[in-house]
Amino acid sequence: MPLKATAGSPRHTFKYSAGFAATMALLHSLLKMLDRVSPAEVAYAHCDIPCGIYDPHYAQMAAHTVIRMVDLIGQLEKPGPNATGEQRQEFMNKLARYTATKEQHAEIYKNELRVLWGDYFKPEHVQQFPQLHDLVWKSMKAGSKGRQEINLLAAEEMLKDANEIATIFWKTKGVATYSAKAPYPTGRETVYPKIA
Amino acid sequence: MFPLARFRVEQRSMSPVLEPGDYVLVNTWAYKFHPPQVGDLVVFTDPERPGRFLCKRIADVRGDGSYTVRGDNEAISRDSRIFGPVPRGRIVGKVWRAARGKRRRGT
Repeated sequence: MPLKATAGSPRHTFKYSAGFAATMALLHSLLKMLDRVSPAEVAYAHCDIPCGIYDPHYAQMAAHTVIRMVDLIGQLEKPGPNATGEQRQEFMNKLARYTATKEQHAEIYKNELRVLWGDYFKPEHVQQFPQLHDLVWKSMKAGSKGRQEINLLAAEEMLKDANEIATIFWKTKGVATYSAKAPYPTGRETVYPKIA
Repeated sequence: MFPLARFRVEQRSMSPVLEPGDYVLVNTWAYKFHPPQVGDLVVFTDPERPGRFLCKRIADVRGDGSYTVRGDNEAISRDSRIFGPVPRGRIVGKVWRAARGKRRRGT
């Protein structure tokens, strides 16, 4: 396939006639052989959609939600042996709603962190923060535990891991962080970026 | 040092001039005696990802000795619009020859 360039543009052109194309193919085979002996460096004509929009806050918020749901489930008054049908129904309804929300947000937490890990963080970030892989792995385990059980410690572990990942995330962006009690009913320490 | 470097092209921001799988031979001495010019195809080190190389076209020469680079396919190219101008020191050299195999890849 001959290469072409837009006519009249100042573009660098490779003038390929049919005979030249054959020579090019030969050169290509030659370079390909050479590549086996000593691989060429790759030059990327890079084409990612440079979205670049990432934020660990979603994961932190989801962890807060899981903590809140565990709290609410704990505060829920359990129907005694003499409870009426309506009371039982109300208990079941609330428990189901809290549990469903806990499930959803534990999953949001895991997904958000997986996206940061898989899409945002680059090999050089891992060189700089060698604990990153272990930390994300730990957060996945905490997320699963928080989802499966009514377990405040696991839910708090989720937030702790998300905070650590957030600290690393903002460091890679050159943004300083601070820790403060979140302005939610959960009130746990949360890492925030210092964005002026 | 021999003034030719080999690179294999990946991805499509320079299509159709360069397609994935093409090889380029880069003249690393091209800019010893005269500066890069608008329209030159150059290989340079990625300002955002150390250790990687990018291949783009020079779109503009700036007064301060740096260069604006663009992919030919602007819609899908990560270039100076994202990472700003490229200083001359990052430019490895000018693409001297490109070689494509008979079987066209990545259509």
